[in-house]
Amino acid sequence: MKVSRAWLQKYFEEPLPEVEEIADALTFHSSEVEEIKGEMMDVKILPDRAGYALSHRGVALETGASLSLSLKSDPLRESLPEFLTTDQLTVEVDDSYVLRHLGAIVRGVKVGPSPVWLKEALESVGQRSINNIVDATNYVMLNIGQPMHAFDLAKVSRGVNGETRIIIRRAAAGETVTVLTGETYTLATDMFVIADATSGAALDIAGLKGGMASGITETTTDLLVSVGTYNGTTIRKMSQALKLWTDASLRYQNKISPELGAYGMRDILKLITDIAGGEVVGVIDVYPNPAAALPHVPATLERLNAILGTSFSVEDVTTALDRIALPHQVEGEMFTVMPTFERTDIATVQDVAEEVGRVLGYDRVLPEQLPAMQTAPDQRKFLGLERLKDVLTEHGFTEISTQSFAIEGEIVLENPLQSDRPALRTTLVENMKDAITRAEFVAPLVLGTEPTLKQFELGSVFKKDREHFALTLGYKQLSGKQSASVLPEAVQALVDAFPASGLTVPATINPAICELSLENVNLEAVGEGYDPIKSTLSEYKQFSIYPFALRDVAVWTLSGTEESEVALTIAGAAGDLLARMDLFDRFEKTDATTGASRISYAFRMVFQSDSRTLADTDIDPAMTAITEALNAKDGWEVR
Amino acid sequence: MSTGRLHPMSAAIREIAGMFAGMGFGIAYGPELEDEWYNFDALNVPADHPARDMQDTFWTKEEKRRVPRTQTSSVQIRFMEEMQKENILPPYRIIVPGKVFRNEATDATHEAQFYQCEGLAIGEGISLAHLKGTLESFFKEYLSADAKVRFRPSFFPFTEPSVEVDVWYEVAGKEGRWLEVMGAGMVHQTVLKNVGIDPEKYQGFAFGVGIERLIMIKHGVPDVRLFHSGDIRFNHGFDVTRVEDNLKDMAS
Repeated sequence: MKVSRAWLQKYFEEPLPEVEEIADALTFHSSEVEEIKGEMMDVKILPDRAGYALSHRGVALETGASLSLSLKSDPLRESLPEFLTTDQLTVEVDDSYVLRHLGAIVRGVKVGPSPVWLKEALESVGQRSINNIVDATNYVMLNIGQPMHAFDLAKVSRGVNGETRIIIRRAAAGETVTVLTGETYTLATDMFVIADATSGAALDIAGLKGGMASGITETTTDLLVSVGTYNGTTIRKMSQALKLWTDASLRYQNKISPELGAYGMRDILKLITDIAGGEVVGVIDVYPNPAAALPHVPATLERLNAILGTSFSVEDVTTALDRIALPHQVEGEMFTVMPTFERTDIATVQDVAEEVGRVLGYDRVLPEQLPAMQTAPDQRKFLGLERLKDVLTEHGFTEISTQSFAIEGEIVLENPLQSDRPALRTTLVENMKDAITRAEFVAPLVLGTEPTLKQFELGSVFKKDREHFALTLGYKQLSGKQSASVLPEAVQALVDAFPASGLTVPATINPAICELSLENVNLEAVGEGYDPIKSTLSEYKQFSIYPFALRDVAVWTLSGTEESEVALTIAGAAGDLLARMDLFDRFEKTDATTGASRISYAFRMVFQSDSRTLADTDIDPAMTAITEALNAKDGWEVR
Repeated sequence: MSTGRLHPMSAAIREIAGMFAGMGFGIAYGPELEDEWYNFDALNVPADHPARDMQDTFWTKEEKRRVPRTQTSSVQIRFMEEMQKENILPPYRIIVPGKVFRNEATDATHEAQFYQCEGLAIGEGISLAHLKGTLESFFKEYLSADAKVRFRPSFFPFTEPSVEVDVWYEVAGKEGRWLEVMGAGMVHQTVLKNVGIDPEKYQGFAFGVGIERLIMIKHGVPDVRLFHSGDIRFNHGFDVTRVEDNLKDMAS
């Protein structure tokens, strides 16, 4: 909800602080201010408060509560006039949809530009001024939260006695309404329209948007003002089906009280006659089941403090309830809160505790430790899973984590994010295959000269009638011959480690990839008493997304030369494109004639840049520098 | 043979689990593919309530549609139901680390699949102050000794009062700052009633924290999409130091 400081100021005698200070107060006592633009704040009104706070009046109340400022007046606490009735209007409603409808006829208005104050108010919250009548309805809605609409009365048919007859009814299948902004919507029978009962024509989509044909123009002189309260759930479904969300539908779907309608009618009639002249002929109020007063909520001081973990006094609680303008009585330490009609969010002692906590400030809730538990916490299933992982990492397997959405599966999604992965995975095998392929490609970078690639994933798989954990192992020989025994041995080691757990060796094991179901494994038993291996992780270093290049270098050194000396020499000369290096060969040779002994070291080097793909022209100078640095050492010689 | 590496998610959950074990929290599990009842209704999110719009939900194409859970809170319900069935009265304390799903466009800070750690403590007189104390202890241990927790008002259908939790995070050489880390609150009395617990006698708190986000904060991971990419370069982006050698236990 966009609110402006100037608009809020109308509610206070004292000057409000700067907008940043208001925003801060609201964020810590009411609802988060998501954005500040000049004097305008975008307040993310929480859903439970939307019944009263999607309005400047509501945000002013919250601002006052947050900053300890009193409102100079509250439009919802001022008395309502007795509306004159009229025989020039009849309104028939479908009370499955209409909770209340107030209709008024105003004659003799002069449509024109809005006065400066009204234009400025609307512009201060990013709305465009249209004309004085439309602006007035928008202003009242943004001010107190009651949506409303004004029709050009001349565009509605007359009955035999000259009266206007309105019906709020279900739309006919396929009935269309062209709205004020020009779009035409095709309606269904679970939607509702405000219709001209004489002609039968739909005038607008009730509660969502006004119709173009009956809109206000420069020549309009007589108005039908419509202030309705509609079924919030139906409105929400209509908005979703039509993909039409409006300021009005937002308020209706948050279930504003039908009591608010009368305040809306009071304010709009006054504003229209003030700025556009005209005369109110009368008001027809259709209110099939008037809302009962909201139930009183008992709340003892003890319970409030028990919920919040505070030691607030009767005076503290009284202050909080006064600041948020919740009427209440107190007898000793027993409060009875009597929510005003718009505070439908106050129904339980927990709701009252929230009001007290947030108004006084959650900084007054001091951290407290939980009491000790009598029984030891049960983490066995978790520890069982972790124990399986530890066995595998000890066998050289690295854990990966992949997506649960798959190309194929037994269960598909109604609304997948990626159309090529519409199903829930039934196996981890496909993702493992893909991960192994990708790992093979980057192995020199992350594994160096390690000859084997071994990975596992432990995760949920989804069958039509059940879901369970699966454990998948993948293996690939990077150098040398692929072994048929690596996976079978690893699986056997797992099974042997937990003999009575229900873990079994599958009948056949693919030597490259193998999946075990943990469905019938007693993980609690596996985890019983286990203390998992704990490790700490360093700051993360992001890998480069650019390709890497490999180069080898072999050098003869003198007998007694350490590997580290060679490595340091290479690192010192290579420059910052050297991503890693690994020794992959070392041998010693004694010359038969001289008797002198030499050591050969061979290193594999990985070159990579964080910002580009490397070309030979990048790497060659580094290789030249390395060769020169090695050759410069006494008795060393690059082979 | 060199040792393999745990996924950073596993390493983090172990740390978290150990810290909460110290405060008496067990660990519970539940299905990732949930019934509508456990994911929404039982958590006080009735059908056609605007609160269902708060999270973007995946639905299955089945006769009775199901939902890849949008939060681990569904396990609260399953756990408390189970306890009632076995006639075990509170106090209850559990955490639920597990995968959750949101149907939203992905970017560096949003993923359609991520891990959440739910926390639940129910008992006599468990208050919002205990929530603050528990989270502050956790963050002091997990993030930094200077960590502090502050609450802001919020709304979740399954808690009342509801709060957003900010944590003060300070590392050497960087300016300290408040980070928005999780939603929490006092378990809604309707939720307790739904599982057959008397809300006049017992009360408690619940919280839900995104684990990737914690790891990203603590270790400087720039993009949430790295976590479940199946790319081992992510594992190798961290240096791992083993805290203690537990090999002896494993052999037994």
